[in-house]
Amino acid sequence: MSENSTFFRDTVERILADTLTQNDIEAAEQRRLPTALYAALVENGITALLVPEDAGGVGAELGDAVAIARALGAAAAPGPVVETLVAQWLLADAGEAPVEGLIALVFAPHDGHRLFDVAWGGIADHVLVVGPAGLHLPSAADWTVVPGHDAAGEPRDDLSIAALPPAIASPVGYDRALRTAALLRAAQTLGAVEWTLACSIDYAGERKQFGREISKFQVIQQMLAELADHVLASAGIIEAAGANPSLALVAAARSRVADAADSAITVGHQVHGALGFSREYALNHRTRRLMAWRDDFGSVAYWRRALAAAFVDCSREEFWPALSDAGLSPAA
Amino acid sequence: MSATALHLDLPELTPEAEALRREVRAFVAEERASGHLPPPTRIGLGYSVETTKRIAARGWIGLTWPKEYGGGERSALERYVMNEELLAAALPVGAHWVADRQSGPVLLKFGSEDQKRFYLPRIAAGECYFCIGMSEPESGSDLASLKARAKKVDGGWIINGRKIWTTNAHRVHYMIALVRTSTVEGQRHAGLSQLIVDLTAPGVTITPIISMAGEHDFNEVLLEDVFVADDCLIGQEGNGWNQVSAELAYERSGPERWLSSFRLISELIDVLGPDARSSSLEELGRLLSHLLALRQLSMSVASMIQQGRSPNVEAAIVKDLGTKFEQEAVRVVRNIVGAEDLTADGRAARLKGLLAHAQLYAPAFTIRGGTNEILRGIIARGIGLR
Repeated sequence: MSENSTFFRDTVERILADTLTQNDIEAAEQRRLPTALYAALVENGITALLVPEDAGGVGAELGDAVAIARALGAAAAPGPVVETLVAQWLLADAGEAPVEGLIALVFAPHDGHRLFDVAWGGIADHVLVVGPAGLHLPSAADWTVVPGHDAAGEPRDDLSIAALPPAIASPVGYDRALRTAALLRAAQTLGAVEWTLACSIDYAGERKQFGREISKFQVIQQMLAELADHVLASAGIIEAAGANPSLALVAAARSRVADAADSAITVGHQVHGALGFSREYALNHRTRRLMAWRDDFGSVAYWRRALAAAFVDCSREEFWPALSDAGLSPAA
Repeated sequence: MSATALHLDLPELTPEAEALRREVRAFVAEERASGHLPPPTRIGLGYSVETTKRIAARGWIGLTWPKEYGGGERSALERYVMNEELLAAALPVGAHWVADRQSGPVLLKFGSEDQKRFYLPRIAAGECYFCIGMSEPESGSDLASLKARAKKVDGGWIINGRKIWTTNAHRVHYMIALVRTSTVEGQRHAGLSQLIVDLTAPGVTITPIISMAGEHDFNEVLLEDVFVADDCLIGQEGNGWNQVSAELAYERSGPERWLSSFRLISELIDVLGPDARSSSLEELGRLLSHLLALRQLSMSVASMIQQGRSPNVEAAIVKDLGTKFEQEAVRVVRNIVGAEDLTADGRAARLKGLLAHAQLYAPAFTIRGGTNEILRGIIARGIGLR
């Protein structure tokens, strides 16, 4: 992680520690957003992190946004923060002035006027629709909202609109915008997995059964070591994708962290025993987000198919050079 | 929290490393064009003295060692890049692999000046090969319980004991044997030493062990009153455990832990077309994502070694994940071959043969070089559980 990334991560971790409470996390399930958190994020330029400096933003690297998304995921921070970060970048890139408030983000490869399961769709100040022709930013009042929620209890709303406004041309384009959003969701997922590992290690060191801490049992050690494997492997590929968000690296990051999330849910709960199943204990907030985030911005299956499809035409001799170079070449 | 004890250090590959990658790819193309590298029918490292000599002629054995010992004074990352290219292309690098990976580095780190001058240039020239004498019939995961003993005599040591699962003992020149040279009450890791044994010495009896896959790689090596001179002791008497621990980090983190069966995936890709079922693509994509993630970890470990750090926990993670990945690769390829009916009616005979061999070979992945359970014990200690 670069020095800049460490700085941004530390800033966001401090903001989260100062402003986000367990009550805020629970209030999100009643469709209420933590306003103090957003005020602090906006004040520190986090929502304009990827907006170039000459457009009034921070002009940071994607890797910095990855570091921030990891911290947000670890804290189970509610709200479309990474979505806003991506949306502000897309708007600035398209020459649009920044918009105030939080922005929900939807990718609509076909018909953008009926949208399903949009995270924070009915709560956010705006909904940015990314389609093949470009960006659509209707007035928030024009949407008809049917509220719903995801596994974490956070809003996932169905939205419809009579007609979308004309597209704003997007130089970044649909594919790269989707890869960026998908990668930041992967980074949030990694954050929640890392939190689960740390929390489970701590708990195993405190909880006593059969007269000793359960961390002293080899079976517990083996389970947590496997979760640590998942964390390190996911962190490696997510950081690599942050430096070069190619199709191969982003798809690999999404696929890899999905397995880490499955392991975190299994191991985290098994180590915590009955306690982890309680709504009062903080583990459930990460577990339920891991379930909710898994298939956002392209399902896990979608990214796995995309990764394999990129190489399936190769001959046996072509395959390694193609795979190797896709995993390393500088960003386009 | 203790999980932050895990380090990741993703390197940027230098222009020199990328240039070396192109050189190795050109070498691979030459090997193919000249008929030296037929499409492989088996997985595992392969053993060819001729290939080893051609690799040595390029200066690629002992790549990171000082020039005065025949090395290339290149970086650990360049060595990493070279190795992944050779392994992905299934070059038979088994003859020099152990000497290049760990015997040479152990001599470089702990050996005497005379030992370095005697062995290293010959290893780098592709003329001198080593095997590892650690496991014994009664000492596998519990290595420190080993029973082979060396008794001090005038001018050297007399070794008695039995080493087992010794890969390539029947065709290499030397074994570095870990033996007990003294007993320190209550300290089982003390009193072990590393001795170089010439495998042609009187008293050495090498017996083949045929593997489940039908191959002769393993041996049992019986040492009966084998004399080795004083200058065969590596490092200090009694310091063997520490030396072996350092050596195991080299052994565990390399790309051979996740690329030794890559040819099986290449062969599947060769046969599979764009009309593959989506379920097949999903399984394959998942496999490739694990491979690309492992590669980042392997590069990260190489980068940390380059900086003089000791990434023992991260190396254990690479081996735990890499060996499980290799077993998973066999399972995934088998599933896709079945789902797509790829080898029915005599089609794709090479894929069928490779898969049959890989299936028999796969159980060894998670055992050799330290079982995964032992590795996870190391990881658990690293994250503060032990």
